[in-house]
Amino acid sequence: MSFFSEDRANELRTIFFESAQELLQALNEQGMRLEKQPGNPEIVREIRRAVHTLKGDSAACGYRELSEFAHALEDVLTDEIAASAGASVAETVLASADSFESMLTAYRRSEQPSSYPAVRVMIEQLRGTPVAEVTPFAPEFAWTEYDRLLISQHAVRGQNVYNVGLEIDPQCAMRSAALQLVRNVLEEVGTPLAIHPSEETAEPPSVIESALASHHPREWIEKKCHVPGVVSRIVVQQSVASAQETIETPVPSQATPANVEVPAPNQPEPEALHKQSTSLTNVENILRVEAERIDAVLDLVGELIIAKSMFQAAVSDFGRRFPKDALYHRLHDALGLQSQVMQKLQRSVMKIRMVPVEQLFRRFPRIVRDLSKQEGKQVDLVLEGENTDLDKSILDALAEPLAHMVRNAVDHGIEMPDERQLMGKSERATIVLKAYHLGNNVVIEVSDDGRGIDVERVRAKAIERGMISLEEAALLDDSETLKLILEPGFSTAEQVTEVSGRGVGMDVVKGVIDRMKGTISIQANRGSGSRFRLNLPLTLAIIKALLFRVSERLFAVPLTSVLEIMRASEKDVHVVGQHEVMQLREEVLPLVRLERMVNGTASEREGKLFVVVVGVGDRKFGLIVDRLVGEQELVLKALDDQFMSTEMVNGASVLGDGRVVLILNVPVAVERFGRADSANRSSLEASA
Amino acid sequence: MAKEVQIVGFRIGREDFGIPIERVHEIVRPMAITAVPDTPDHIEGVINLRGKIVPVVDLRKRFGEKQPAGNRKNRIVVAEINGRQVGLLVDTASEVLKLAPDAIEDPPQALGDEASSYVRGVAKFNGRLIILVDLERIMREGDLRRVSEIADLSATGT
Repeated sequence: MSFFSEDRANELRTIFFESAQELLQALNEQGMRLEKQPGNPEIVREIRRAVHTLKGDSAACGYRELSEFAHALEDVLTDEIAASAGASVAETVLASADSFESMLTAYRRSEQPSSYPAVRVMIEQLRGTPVAEVTPFAPEFAWTEYDRLLISQHAVRGQNVYNVGLEIDPQCAMRSAALQLVRNVLEEVGTPLAIHPSEETAEPPSVIESALASHHPREWIEKKCHVPGVVSRIVVQQSVASAQETIETPVPSQATPANVEVPAPNQPEPEALHKQSTSLTNVENILRVEAERIDAVLDLVGELIIAKSMFQAAVSDFGRRFPKDALYHRLHDALGLQSQVMQKLQRSVMKIRMVPVEQLFRRFPRIVRDLSKQEGKQVDLVLEGENTDLDKSILDALAEPLAHMVRNAVDHGIEMPDERQLMGKSERATIVLKAYHLGNNVVIEVSDDGRGIDVERVRAKAIERGMISLEEAALLDDSETLKLILEPGFSTAEQVTEVSGRGVGMDVVKGVIDRMKGTISIQANRGSGSRFRLNLPLTLAIIKALLFRVSERLFAVPLTSVLEIMRASEKDVHVVGQHEVMQLREEVLPLVRLERMVNGTASEREGKLFVVVVGVGDRKFGLIVDRLVGEQELVLKALDDQFMSTEMVNGASVLGDGRVVLILNVPVAVERFGRADSANRSSLEASA
Repeated sequence: MAKEVQIVGFRIGREDFGIPIERVHEIVRPMAITAVPDTPDHIEGVINLRGKIVPVVDLRKRFGEKQPAGNRKNRIVVAEINGRQVGLLVDTASEVLKLAPDAIEDPPQALGDEASSYVRGVAKFNGRLIILVDLERIMREGDLRRVSEIADLSATGT
């Protein structure tokens, strides 16, 4: 490492950590596949390859402990051990993946990683597994110069030349005749250019090597050469694939190109190599870019949109003053074209930030496996809609809440197998993680077929904890009651467990979702499972918004949350309990006087009212505003969270004329000002 | 000899204040301030500083002026506080003062480390008393001492 500059080394490490994360993911996934299909050589090979890469990469970065660990694991990941040791291989791989991860974390923090003796013991036990065949079979194919000349001559003529290695079964009763037998077979499938040993020797040969020109495919030769009772193992490799290969080949061992790239001499696996090279081509087309750089571009696009609306405002002023001027029309057309391009530009940039939700979902099979194992439950995790795209920043923020919800589902939702059986359910429970687009939003659902949530118990507990009064409880419908579990200090679990009892509750989940301007809705049936649905905006950066005035102040709400706009008058407003409501077709629409947010109080007004009907989760509210201004595309800018943190406002944006407009956080505003009597706001306010 | 200290001076009421020039981004004329609901009392609102949304503190109200008068000389001093830009609305702001390091004294004992004090130091310049403002302090919540009080205490303490 010393010959790298410090910068270069750091860069290398950054790349290493990224790729190591992917390798670990692959290890986890393949480890779990292997658990289901113990001994599958294909899967073992995948795992071995991941471990091998990890070993090499970590060694290159100077992470000796990790490299040695990976080496030890790679050593025991042979097809033979995998075939005879069964499920414990998968167990070891998964445990090692965990240790690798902890080691990586330690390296990231520049700490010394621990040595994980328990996992080491598992590996050593695997090494000790009695294995039927241990000696690797690796014929050398050391052809003489004359042989190589022959080989290349045939290759030039476009013939396929194979290196065929045959191991003679030590138990073979007629070992001395084996050579002749093999010779016959070889002549049958092609033209043997060279056979070693070439003639009968005193000692019967244990290995026969041959260079064979043949027009038959490799598999066919392999099959033909398998003489039962005589030949125990076979290696068939393409020898000189290209005609450019000449006898001038400087190093004899390079006569077989396939051999050169085989990672370890005891693992001839040409198909595997082929796969690796195709995946490499894919990788070349993917750029890794720091999120910050993309954000910088997005910022610029945002400024551009502000500039565009400034320009737009100026042009329409001009048009008003000189409506017949030809210049106005040219400006107008140019502006139209510019807006189109701008829209495409913006969409492309947004797309760069979009990542498939799969990046998040793929952690969960492992989490669910570990948890259910630990608790003795049987759980299948079903992932749906992994290709749904989501803004990277939202995706990152979702990781913790989602993990918490899945943990909750396994821990509290799913019953023990015997309990499930008693209830007439299948012993295996199912948790579904699902993502899909809904309009401009992304919905992520966590559902399970477990015991559900007992609404009455939630109600009783909320009363017991003093979160709501008896009277209030009576007014809450089931879905409102369920939302109480999102409040701080509420937990439906009777006991604290190792898994979910970390003091992190659903209130934390709600906090994160609130911050992302999303909503949570809960459906639960006692006995038949529950479903948590997160509704999130696709992106936080640029939104279409409805602008309106309240007490002469300009506000906006995301257009996606606006359902309709109505006109009404004060006499349509009724008071029910503590809520002001009005009739919206067959529904009762709770009203929110935003004036209260601006002035602290609200008064009845004369003439017509504008009511903006917004959807919050699965509920509707009517926002009473003074005047509608119109809809516009807004570039969302966060307010300084250090000096003026407020939940009430999502952010601000700058209009074409330079004015600042505040974007309301609808769910919070509705919660806070949804009551007719603000003096009597109780702890229930948050449940709106 | 130690380097001289450059201070941006501004006025609130009849008192002179100053902050180090490195902390000042720019000084702009007052513009429309958009009030933001549900924010701390001392945050007057936000302004659009060439596309950037910057919070503004009316330093005159912050320092206890009852009814700050608006006039043509008013300015917003955009300063950097904890790595963020914050606009400070003041009566007037114009001069850059060059102070010798030894012209700056610690705040007088009477002002002490009380929570309400935002005085980082006191400097004499051409016979005037200039109060060096602790920017981090003024952004914290809670009331601050009145300008007049500070001035009196500074005068008696030195």
